[in-house]
Amino acid sequence: MNAGIQESSNLTGGQKLAVKYYTVAVVLFVAQILFGLLSGLKYLQPDFLYEVLDFNVTRMVHINAMIVWMLFGFMGAIYWLVEEESETELVGLKLGNLAFWVLTSAVTVVVLVYLFVQVGPAEMSTIWFIGEGREYIEAPRWADIGIVICLLVFMYNIAATFMKGKWSGISGVLVLDLVALAGLYVAGMYYTPNISMDQYWWWWVVHLWVEATWEVLVGCIMAWGLIKTLGANRKIVTTWLYIEVALMLGAGILGLGHHYFWIGTPEYWLGIGGFFSALEPVPLVAMVVHAVYDSGVHGSKNSNHPALAWLIAHAFGNFFGGGVWGFMHTLPQINLYTHGTQWTTSHGHLAFFGAYATINIAMFYIALQRWRGNVYMSAGLPGNGWKWKWALSLLCTGVVGMTMALLVSGYEQAFVERALGGSTWAAYFEAQRGTWYVQGMYWRQIFGYVTAAGLVLLIWDLLTIGLREKRSMVVPTDHVVVTA
Amino acid sequence: MLEPVELNNIMIAVIAGAMVVLLGALYAFTFAMGKMNKKRWLIGVSYTVFAGLAISVFTLAQSLNLNGYWQLVTYTMLLGYLLAPQAIWKLSVGTHRASD
Repeated sequence: MNAGIQESSNLTGGQKLAVKYYTVAVVLFVAQILFGLLSGLKYLQPDFLYEVLDFNVTRMVHINAMIVWMLFGFMGAIYWLVEEESETELVGLKLGNLAFWVLTSAVTVVVLVYLFVQVGPAEMSTIWFIGEGREYIEAPRWADIGIVICLLVFMYNIAATFMKGKWSGISGVLVLDLVALAGLYVAGMYYTPNISMDQYWWWWVVHLWVEATWEVLVGCIMAWGLIKTLGANRKIVTTWLYIEVALMLGAGILGLGHHYFWIGTPEYWLGIGGFFSALEPVPLVAMVVHAVYDSGVHGSKNSNHPALAWLIAHAFGNFFGGGVWGFMHTLPQINLYTHGTQWTTSHGHLAFFGAYATINIAMFYIALQRWRGNVYMSAGLPGNGWKWKWALSLLCTGVVGMTMALLVSGYEQAFVERALGGSTWAAYFEAQRGTWYVQGMYWRQIFGYVTAAGLVLLIWDLLTIGLREKRSMVVPTDHVVVTA
Repeated sequence: MLEPVELNNIMIAVIAGAMVVLLGALYAFTFAMGKMNKKRWLIGVSYTVFAGLAISVFTLAQSLNLNGYWQLVTYTMLLGYLLAPQAIWKLSVGTHRASD
């Protein structure tokens, strides 16, 4: 390998496939931010692109692009690590490539339909060919089936590779999680005219994907990432992966109940959802102990500063976005007023970015290091690594700023629209005109631009970091420096 | 069964909710630091922080009208936040010792 030169020969078959997934993920990340900015602008200038690209369309592309780019990022990450982890070549590489092109083509067609067809008549043909109208997973039925098939191909490739090569603790958890990932998506395809039942199953995909299968997937990627960037002890990392998965699933699965408070499900969901949601932050808090223990007991040299910085951003983002922002309004006594307001949007922005975008970006940097010949990416990069540092700062500042601005708007909305106005249409519009609400929306837009600037810088850094660098990567080490 | 938060208490409930998680993390942090560096005063600080956490939990419970069944949520939270960091500490020591 020649350090500083980007060559495909540096990569295995699975890693080349991973790079394709990462590339599409970044393109969709750009689409997410672009359509997010457009959607934010419509709060300030409601006439902007009216009847050309309405709010429902730009918002749909914004949130679907987010879900899909993260999914592409996760799939890329798994393809990236599978061969090293199993110590063998990827099984079904051609099938994997075919599935990639099918999935990418399907996503392209779906986005074009969203943009140019937008809506259809209230008939089954609309569900099949235009969109299902289910927030976050609006893809039409044909694309849904395609997604499940591609996920099954993905699962087969990964499971078969581990079966051919070597199993590990990480791979065992990973494969079981992929079964759930593909299986749960099917729940979102169940059509019924009963809106309560429809929402009941739809949340299986949205909540159980995000707060169960994705969390586990991220746990596996994080475990592998720590071994690679810090040289962390595999046995310890694996043990903690088991513990974390048990804790996350213990509270996370029935935490699903906090989505069932107001959709017409039986009243016992108030108690179940409230109880388990109250316990959901406990594992996040408890893990602080392990982080302190590890940082004190182990002295480590890391091989990839940008990746490690994004992994740290992930730990904090997950804690604040999921833990603090989630718990603030999760109990039904307050959620009665906050659900579906900008308060929820505030939580969503910080949680998705903190828990998932960050770890995908960390994996991009790990991949680039290898692709560019195991190049040096530790301290003392050219320009003191200003591009990745500014990209990290701008993206984090932008998202945190949007989160705070949306919280202000959401707080006003919860008061004026929900608590005082009783959720009537008149109250809805009155809240939208409120000074605090409008100011929050302006600040959200400003921080949206900051986020976009961070993304531009991130892409510039991803395209250039390590090129022409002659030094080779620092070998990560993990050694005990004190004993407790 | 459910008595929603009163209008005047929304802000209190929000701040108390955030404080529960933040003080939970601070308790875990000071507890682990105290154990790690064998500093008894830090362990003392951690329990002081936990007292703050307990106040936050009871403030939250009062502002959200957590009566009847909901008291179970209050006490389970308190117990969870108190014991989980201690259990994780024991697991940390145990797993690292086993791998050395």
